Amino acid sequence: MAVIEAWNLTKIYGRQVACREICLSVEEGQIFGLLGPNGAGKSTLVKMLVGLVYPTAGEAKVAGYAPQDIRGRRQVGFLPENFRLHGWMKGEELLTFHARLAGLDNRAASRRAHEVLELVGLAGEGRKLVANYSKGMQQRLGLAAALVGDPRVVFLDEPTSALDPLGRRQVREILLALKEAGKTVFLNSHLLSEVEQVCDRVAIINRGTVVAAGRLDELQAGPATVAIRLAGLTGELVAELRRRYPELQLEGDRLTLALGGREEIADLVARLVAGGCRIYEVRPGHSSLEDVFVHLVREGEQVCG
Amino acid sequence: MWLMALFTFREAWRKKVALIAGALTLAFLILYGTGLHFITRDMVNTANPTATAASYYAMMQAVTLFVLGIYLASFLAAGLAVLAAVGSVAGEIENGTLYTLAVRPLSRRDLLLGKFLGLAAMLVTYAALFFLALAGLVYWQTGLVIPGLVPALGLFILEPLVLLAVTMLGTTRLSTLGNGVLAFALYALAVVGGMIEQIGALVESTAAIYTGVVTSLILPADAVYRRLVATVVDRLPAGNGQDIPRFINPQSMLGPFGSQSTPSNWMLVYTLVYIGILLAAAVYIFNRRDV
Repeated sequence: MAVIEAWNLTKIYGRQVACREICLSVEEGQIFGLLGPNGAGKSTLVKMLVGLVYPTAGEAKVAGYAPQDIRGRRQVGFLPENFRLHGWMKGEELLTFHARLAGLDNRAASRRAHEVLELVGLAGEGRKLVANYSKGMQQRLGLAAALVGDPRVVFLDEPTSALDPLGRRQVREILLALKEAGKTVFLNSHLLSEVEQVCDRVAIINRGTVVAAGRLDELQAGPATVAIRLAGLTGELVAELRRRYPELQLEGDRLTLALGGREEIADLVARLVAGGCRIYEVRPGHSSLEDVFVHLVREGEQVCG
Repeated sequence: MWLMALFTFREAWRKKVALIAGALTLAFLILYGTGLHFITRDMVNTANPTATAASYYAMMQAVTLFVLGIYLASFLAAGLAVLAAVGSVAGEIENGTLYTLAVRPLSRRDLLLGKFLGLAAMLVTYAALFFLALAGLVYWQTGLVIPGLVPALGLFILEPLVLLAVTMLGTTRLSTLGNGVLAFALYALAVVGGMIEQIGALVESTAAIYTGVVTSLILPADAVYRRLVATVVDRLPAGNGQDIPRFINPQSMLGPFGSQSTPSNWMLVYTLVYIGILLAAAVYIFNRRDV
């Protein structure tokens, strides 16, 4: 069942299009990653989904309700990018207040505040003023605030941007634990490795438009590389191949090509054999998320530029 | 909404807004009390104001000093109202603290009105204590019990609430700086308009009086002050019938600080409606804006 849905979500600021006709669907219990270069419209999209920003056109539903609907908000947690927490409060007090706003009574709110402090590794720090927390601690506290209402859907906008490698790993573990508990996580990040490690599905957004979406293996199955060790390659055949595969590289007996898809490998090998080549090894390359991302973003820039 | 109101009240308290305002107010009261002491040291007891010319003058002197104190206190209360509310939405968006609150299961109306109520609670407490301290000082030094103390107190409390409503509306649309400039400019306009109106009443210039009425409609803060002065001074007896004729109006002795041209009950109703409309407009704008 889709717990986050967007239909043609568009946001235009004056003459600048931040998001254009974005359609998304995130199934319950998934970790969904939203990727994109800086200024691609990721944060605007997240803000529209949590009801902070009104779309110019289109519609969205989160947990079955419009983003501004209070019934839906009871089921949503949000860690914004570039946020600040109220420095005059103590960590524990801040979380208790957020839990109260999320609908918990005083005692349950206090208990929940302790639980999430422990979850994000801030147990024992709850009595300090938020103003005295380090940046990393504030990031963890922000994550705790997002989780304090025990939400069904969690939106995290760059949750690890201020964290050290240890903190990042801890956040990844929290995300996986949330998934185990059946929660849905919408992760907005530009850290590809992070997304690659935890996300079930990914959408790549560039210049306000979704340029690719799907399971990680689907996306990575797109453009592929192949390295072939061979002998008997003629100059004529190299020229023919270069016309079809402009990124061809030939080093000694090793030929590397960027293909449109893995299904092209068989045809390529058949052509090489027909051209008189002896094939010793065919090694299909694994296209990383970074390759896919860079390829799609560059492609978009060429089209727009 | 009440959670938000309590949060805002505690925020004002913990950020030491009330403490700083309280310290400045204490300094003001010490200065005012010192002045009051030396000015009224030789005054005759005012317990029976109609008895002699000397005591009547003494009473008027005490009332004048009280009114001037209230006039200056209004500035401090108005300043506190504007400064406390100036960034309550715009500032929180600018520094990123509003995001986590605005996504909670809390309507924007409740968020905004909660903030208003929290700040209003602080301002009401502050203004009431300030007013009673001034009235107490006057009583201590001159023996005069301020006539119409309770309604005057209510009006003194109302004045910063008008400024608070204006500033809350501004903060839903303008930047913190822009909102502060606008609120103080409007307040200055109202004060100057009020002065012009009173001088107009003294010199019987209808145009000047209307000028003041128009500025009071734009921001009825000064009108509330004038009504407060009338509430106190109009309860005083006219001349004592001895060397001061009974037709002498005590208001005329207060000059531009008095209330020769007194705002009507309708102006008070207008003020309350004004606060309501401004808050409704603030909710309307906040509901429709991107955060």
